[in-house]
Amino acid sequence: MLQSFDKSATAPANPRAEWMALLARAPLPLLEQGLADHTQSTPQWLRRPETGLMMVQGRVGGAGEKFNLGEMTVTRCALRLAAAADTPDPALKDTPVGVAYVMGRNHRHAQLAAVADALLQTPAEWPVLEQRLLAPLRSHVQAGQTRRHAQAQTTKVDFLTVAREASGGDEEESS
Amino acid sequence: MNAQSMQSMVAGFDNEAFGSQAVFRVALQALSHPGQILTMPMDAQLPQSGHGAAALLLLGLLDADTTLWMSESLAQSDAAAWLRFHTGCLCVSDPHEAQFLWLAQGQDQGNDQGQAPNWPSLAQLRQGSDAYPDQSATCVIEVQSLQASAPGWVLQGPGIATQQALQVQGLSADFQAQWADNHGRFPQGVDFFLTTTTQVVGLPRTTRILNSQEA
Repeated sequence: MLQSFDKSATAPANPRAEWMALLARAPLPLLEQGLADHTQSTPQWLRRPETGLMMVQGRVGGAGEKFNLGEMTVTRCALRLAAAADTPDPALKDTPVGVAYVMGRNHRHAQLAAVADALLQTPAEWPVLEQRLLAPLRSHVQAGQTRRHAQAQTTKVDFLTVAREASGGDEEESS
Repeated sequence: MNAQSMQSMVAGFDNEAFGSQAVFRVALQALSHPGQILTMPMDAQLPQSGHGAAALLLLGLLDADTTLWMSESLAQSDAAAWLRFHTGCLCVSDPHEAQFLWLAQGQDQGNDQGQAPNWPSLAQLRQGSDAYPDQSATCVIEVQSLQASAPGWVLQGPGIATQQALQVQGLSADFQAQWADNHGRFPQGVDFFLTTTTQVVGLPRTTRILNSQEA
């Protein structure tokens, strides 16, 4: 499956996919800062953070045959937010489930990304987190891309070619 | 897996290492002593549909390399999503491809009145080969009740000193005939676990089933 998350200028078709991609690449300090008091809560684990390998596949030119690029370390987890203490209702299962797959071995990163995913699914929390967490993440990812782009640009070579004479040349030969 | 099934997801074993080892111990004990009724240690959160003992047994036995077939009512339920999530097993729609099969109690099984069960006959399942009899299917079947001290079957075979009495309620009428065929295919053949909500009985292919009058 081939999806691009960062290229589209318009609003993404699937906002959850977009924020999960952002959270997976977020640096830990930004996550801790953006989630503020939510980082301290003890979640209800569906799957504790576990580290494993995943095979990354690529396609030549984005459309050719699939090939194995190599394995990368991935940590994943799934959790349900702890229900608020004042709801003894057994239907606490309705608190949203957060899922995270992040690169590397940092269990804390996976946990916070999953907490953020769960919170972002709550309509009440979304506007706050959009501003406090996702916006800084977006500019962080954007800044990284701009920096890499600028680095790559320094290696660009412009080949000078002798331009052919004005298009009149051919006509002169044929005449 | 869609967001809906994820929303109703529950956790698996409370303690993954100890929980799965305890389940494996029960499975081993059940197949070593066919017909003995064992109690499944229930230290996990379970899905709503399906028997707890059956769900736990599969949670302990399945992994990402195994294939699972479930009867119709289970395949649609939260139990299927739960097993997929925690074990990563592959759910197949063709029973012949499956290494594990899970048959729910109730309508999927037919009944004693001869209603055809929504269930492939034993001969259709993976039988293994003479060189690799271990590659056969393992079936987990939910039944209504299991009792050791009631008239019903008399089991004989390896793992049973003389004979073992067992009464099973909730199996289709032609089960015994199918089982005789299955036993006759040794060393090939399928192995069974019968479960109630908390109990498990092992029925390996080596076991003979007689009616209590015959024995």
